[in-house]
Amino acid sequence: MERLLQYIFDGLSLGSIYALLALGLVVVFRGTGHLNFAQGEMAMICTFFTWQFHAWGLPLVVSVLLGMVAGFALGAGVEVSLIRRVAKKSEAGVFVVSIAMFLGFNSLAGMIWGNLPPEEMPSLFPDEPDDFVKIFGAVWRYEYIGIMVVALLLMGLLFLLFARTKFGLAMRAVASNPESARLVGIPTGLVLASSWGIAAAMGALSGAMVGGLAGELTSLLMFTPFIYASASATLGGFDSPGGAVIAGLAIGVGEQLAAGYAPGWIGQELRLGVALVTIFVVLLFKPSGLFGSAKVERV
Amino acid sequence: MLKINQGSPQHWALRTLGIAIIALVVVWVPTQMSTSRIGQFSDAFVLIIAAMSLNLVLGFTGQISIGHSAFFGIGGYTAAILIKDHGWSPGYTFYAAAVVAFVVGCLIALPALRIKGIYLALVTLAVAVLFPTLVKWKKLAWLTDGAKGIDSVRYDELPEWPVLGELKGRDGRAVFAYWLAFLVLVITYLVCRGLVKSRFGRSLVAIRDNETAAAVMGVNLTATKVLVFGASAALCALAGVLSTLRTGVITPEGQYVTLLGSIVFLLIMVVGGAGTLWGPIVGGLVYVWLDNTTRGFGSESDGVIGFLFGWSDQSPATLILGLALVIIMFVAPYGLVGLIKRLWAKVVLVVPKPAGTSLSTTGK
Amino acid sequence: MSLLSITGLAAGYGPLEVLHGFDLEVNQGEIVVILGANGAGKTTTMRAVSGMIPRRGRVEFDGQDISTASPDSIVRLGIAQVPQGRGTFADLTVEDNMMAGAYVRRDDVQADLERWFEVFPRLRERRTQRAGSLSGGEQQMLAIARALMSRPRLLLCDEPSLGLAPLITQELFGVLQKLNAEEGLSILLVEQNANLALKVAHRVYLLETGNVVSTGSAAELAADDSIRKAYLGS
Repeated sequence: MERLLQYIFDGLSLGSIYALLALGLVVVFRGTGHLNFAQGEMAMICTFFTWQFHAWGLPLVVSVLLGMVAGFALGAGVEVSLIRRVAKKSEAGVFVVSIAMFLGFNSLAGMIWGNLPPEEMPSLFPDEPDDFVKIFGAVWRYEYIGIMVVALLLMGLLFLLFARTKFGLAMRAVASNPESARLVGIPTGLVLASSWGIAAAMGALSGAMVGGLAGELTSLLMFTPFIYASASATLGGFDSPGGAVIAGLAIGVGEQLAAGYAPGWIGQELRLGVALVTIFVVLLFKPSGLFGSAKVERV
Repeated sequence: MLKINQGSPQHWALRTLGIAIIALVVVWVPTQMSTSRIGQFSDAFVLIIAAMSLNLVLGFTGQISIGHSAFFGIGGYTAAILIKDHGWSPGYTFYAAAVVAFVVGCLIALPALRIKGIYLALVTLAVAVLFPTLVKWKKLAWLTDGAKGIDSVRYDELPEWPVLGELKGRDGRAVFAYWLAFLVLVITYLVCRGLVKSRFGRSLVAIRDNETAAAVMGVNLTATKVLVFGASAALCALAGVLSTLRTGVITPEGQYVTLLGSIVFLLIMVVGGAGTLWGPIVGGLVYVWLDNTTRGFGSESDGVIGFLFGWSDQSPATLILGLALVIIMFVAPYGLVGLIKRLWAKVVLVVPKPAGTSLSTTGK
Repeated sequence: MSLLSITGLAAGYGPLEVLHGFDLEVNQGEIVVILGANGAGKTTTMRAVSGMIPRRGRVEFDGQDISTASPDSIVRLGIAQVPQGRGTFADLTVEDNMMAGAYVRRDDVQADLERWFEVFPRLRERRTQRAGSLSGGEQQMLAIARALMSRPRLLLCDEPSLGLAPLITQELFGVLQKLNAEEGLSILLVEQNANLALKVAHRVYLLETGNVVSTGSAAELAADDSIRKAYLGS
């Protein structure tokens, strides 16, 4: 019972990070119909920005916020300067460009910060060995609680933005019918750039939390979370923000349970396999995901 | 500017000259260059084969796979296991690897190709990440030796080829690996060329350009795509076999077995020229050249380059190629080959035959 | 006074030119109909006026040059378009659709919402339903109401009768005529159905392969034998 609770709790906490990243993927997909392959790498480089701000002496919270601002600028800049232009030429081109960004950001981070010894990344939350509470015998670390609360809070804010603000309405309108959105006077370019910006800013926050968990930064920081996020977005449905969040949490818990209860079988090596097999199975049986609308293009 | 009629004696002379130059270079490399240089060319050939296989899928059906590193790995592991555990002769492992990869490729393609766009990219992404994970899985360690991989994959006798006779102190194995890679490269090129120019190949291009129209014209979309994907996987596995035979090692974290491999293949194909037969060749040579010349920048170079890259020992090759990739997407959709063709067209213009005659001759 | 004035309008898609440079005018308070067969360039004209595609020539709205203006600034100036095929936001609710129509406005839009719900009571009944679940006629009403939410001075309607039952079409045209008569709303309407068009129009432009081939009052065109034969079938 304690073990189950422990796995569920750890899973929810990690899952909320996946959910945050997956939500970023969904926001971009709904706006432009693209999979931003470089979402994880953009988050990674923003985390290095955050680290740099902190290393310059700014408080960590301020550094994270600045990192998110940098992320927004990066995401919006990429959309305006690259994605939008390539998308006019070919759909495959967008994917190639996002691969190029994946490579570029990875290599850039390695070149700028890679020569230094592994960066110590402080956590946003208390993370000493005895920073936890015990509830029903399960260890609930403050850091995990903090991650979950912050991630859910940000997602809540985002849903408010979608549902209650004029800009959110514009984002939904662009996702639903870009042509008509332009006809009613919505500046679609601005909306799309903002979508990419918001996604990258959320990535920056999840990067800071993943970095805090790992305790150090490398250019590979966000690769695994990105895979989990892709699996979450696939499971939830690429056009369903709510689905992405639920699926992210579910995959977090599922991964913990699988790794915890079948250590001999799954173990540490195949943990990621849980996410990857999810992608296969979902695309095989229900390509639109659990909560997505069936707009998946079929041949 | 020179004007030449297609099929005229001058045109044939020009083509013969081109082939002669290429042949000269191909022979010159293993007889005149250092062993390490020969190894770099072999490496380039391997990458070219992999990029060609990817080109078959993306270039000719417009679909993207970033899962080809897994097929590369399947080829490499098949060869290593068969040679080490079962005492196979290296030559036969090519066939085995191709068959295994073809089957796996078709199995993956079946569900993946029913959907398209980002979903296909996702499935192939999952394949690329899953493969090294599976290889490391301890339940499969009896087969794959887990994380440590399989090493000292050796084969004993080298065949007595005349070209191998004059080694002049060079490593016979390196020269052999070079010629083997070249042979497979030529075969891959001919297979790709044959596919593209055949009726089957034209149906591929039909898919790329307009799926609905292709369906109306009676091209069996799913079967065609699955077969192409399988063939492409098989070709990529050949590259994996070559790589294992040359280095004698394959590990789950090997250079081209992880996702990075798929990205390198993609890079080579797009930079060289996606959808062109010569694109992967040019791209592969450029990639290996860049990778080798930029590797030591941080530690050795002075001046501007040393200043720019001085604070890192990481090779800027991937960054340079990443940037090149973006630039090419904007200015040269057919890559370096497209650029070369455009420049060449300013020097020599090959005037195509009148439509009537070419129609009557293509039927043969 | 001329509200919309177009001179030498040429536009198309990529290398393909669809409109070859014609003049067109909509006066304040007028219903002007563009009549033409499929492929004549009617929809392209609408898209060019709304700024959705690059165009050459001069387009003036209320004395202001909008030849190079962006779609959103054109909506802001007071031109709203009801696109062909309705173009509702299928997965948004009816109310959200209408609120999106008021995107360019900064003032309170609640009163307008109520007002158009009065005019189209069926939309009020369905205000929380997704637009995609509405019938064709309801969606057309929604598209018109959405356009009206921006308080336009000129309404562009691209074949509102397309795919609708005759009774519903009549109802819609009744509403448009009423808006024109009571509010002085100027309307530029594209139609294939000449009978319908000539009934509501003050003036008519006849478009053939990207050129205006004939223009005049509705009565004049209805009296023209060749036009009657070609477009009215009698």
